[in-house]
Amino acid sequence: MHRRSLSLITLLLLVALPLSASQFIEMPFDRVAREAKYVVRAEIGDTWAAWDDSHEVIYTYATIHVTRYFGETTGPDTLVVREVGGTVDGYTQEAIGFPAIRSGEKVVLMLSSWENGTDLRIHAYNQGKYLVRHRGGVEVLVQDPVKQGDERMGRDGRFDVQPLALEGGLTIDEFASMVEDSRAGNHHDGPIQRH
Amino acid sequence: MKIQRLLSLAITTIILVATAQPALAYVLLSPRRRWSSTPVTVRVYNVGNSTISDGSGGVNATVSAIRAWGIINSSTTSSAAVRGSAPATIMLNTNGGLCTGGCLAATLTGYYVSQTGDDRIYDADVYTNTAHQYYSSGESGCSAEYDINGIMVHEVGHVIGIGHSNVSGATMYPSVSACNAANRTIEADDRAARDDLY
Repeated sequence: MHRRSLSLITLLLLVALPLSASQFIEMPFDRVAREAKYVVRAEIGDTWAAWDDSHEVIYTYATIHVTRYFGETTGPDTLVVREVGGTVDGYTQEAIGFPAIRSGEKVVLMLSSWENGTDLRIHAYNQGKYLVRHRGGVEVLVQDPVKQGDERMGRDGRFDVQPLALEGGLTIDEFASMVEDSRAGNHHDGPIQRH
Repeated sequence: MKIQRLLSLAITTIILVATAQPALAYVLLSPRRRWSSTPVTVRVYNVGNSTISDGSGGVNATVSAIRAWGIINSSTTSSAAVRGSAPATIMLNTNGGLCTGGCLAATLTGYYVSQTGDDRIYDADVYTNTAHQYYSSGESGCSAEYDINGIMVHEVGHVIGIGHSNVSGATMYPSVSACNAANRTIEADDRAARDDLY
C-alpha cells in the first residue's frame, strides 16, 4: 500500500512538473562537454562591443583569464570569447536567451569555435556557462540564471537575480570528474545541480 | 476509505507541486522596452522552411499565427531581414549565423536606452535553425517535429518586449517539446504582459 502511494506521488510529480526542453533544446551534459573545444575555469576580464563588418550584428568580446583547463585539453592563459549582443553608441542588440558576458565574473565555460572563424563562443548557449560561487568553504558551480534579455532589475528597482536559481550546484571536483568522464565517452545527462 | 486517503494524498501532492512554482508571473525584457506604436509591423520573409510541406514552407501559417498577439500587423515580404533596421522580420529559411545546435529559433532585438526610461525597440528579427524539423498548422500529423506556429508566436512575444514567463502553460514559458502545438494561442499571463507594455 505504501509503495503504491509512493508510485502515485511519483507519477503525479512527473505529470505536474514542466518539461525541461526550451526554445533551446536542452542537450545532455556529456554531449556539451564532449563537443566543447575547451572547458576552462576563468575570470572574465575586459569586455568590449563592436559591429561586425557588415554593420548588422553587435558582438561583445571578452578577454578571459584562464586558471584551469578541464579534461585533457590545455591552452593559453588568456582567451578571447565573442558572443552575439552588446551596446555600441547607445544602441543595444540582444539575442534573447543567449548567454550574457559580464566583466569580473568568475566562471567555468565550455567553449567552441564559431563556424566561420577561429574566435571562441560559449558552447550550447547558456548550458556552457557556470558561475563559481562559494558555499560553506567549498566552491560550487551554478548555471547563470541571467541571460540576455532577462530581468535584472525587479519592479522595485533592486537587483533581482532569482535567489533560488543560485542554490544547489556542483563542486568543482564533481564537475571536473563529469567532464573527464564525458570526454572519455561515458554518458552523463545530469542532473547538473545536485546539492 | 483507502481510495479517499489516496485521493487526499494525490490532491495534497498536486497542491504542493503547484505552490512550489515561483510565485511570479510574466517577465518583461530588461530594461523594459516597447515599440513606439501599435500595431507592430512584422514581416515574414517569403522563402519558407524546406522541412515544412504546407505549400509555403510555413510562411503563410506564420503570418496568420503571430496575429494571436492582437497587436501585430503581419504580412509576407520579399526582403530579407536587415539587422538593426525595422521592420521586424521573421526568417524561416536561415539561422542567421546565430542559431545553431540546440537553438530552435532566436530573436535578435535592438533598442536605444532613453533618458526618460521609456526605451523603444528599434528592430527585432527572428531566425530559425534549419537543422531541425518543423511542421505547421497547414499540415496534418507530426513526427518528432517542432510546431512552427507556436515557436513563432513565442518569438514574436520577444519581438514586442516580453521575456520568459514562470507560469507553466503560458506561451512565453521557456519550454517546448516536439509535436506540441499548445503555443499557437496566447494565455492570460501572456495577455497581461502585452497589456502591461501596450
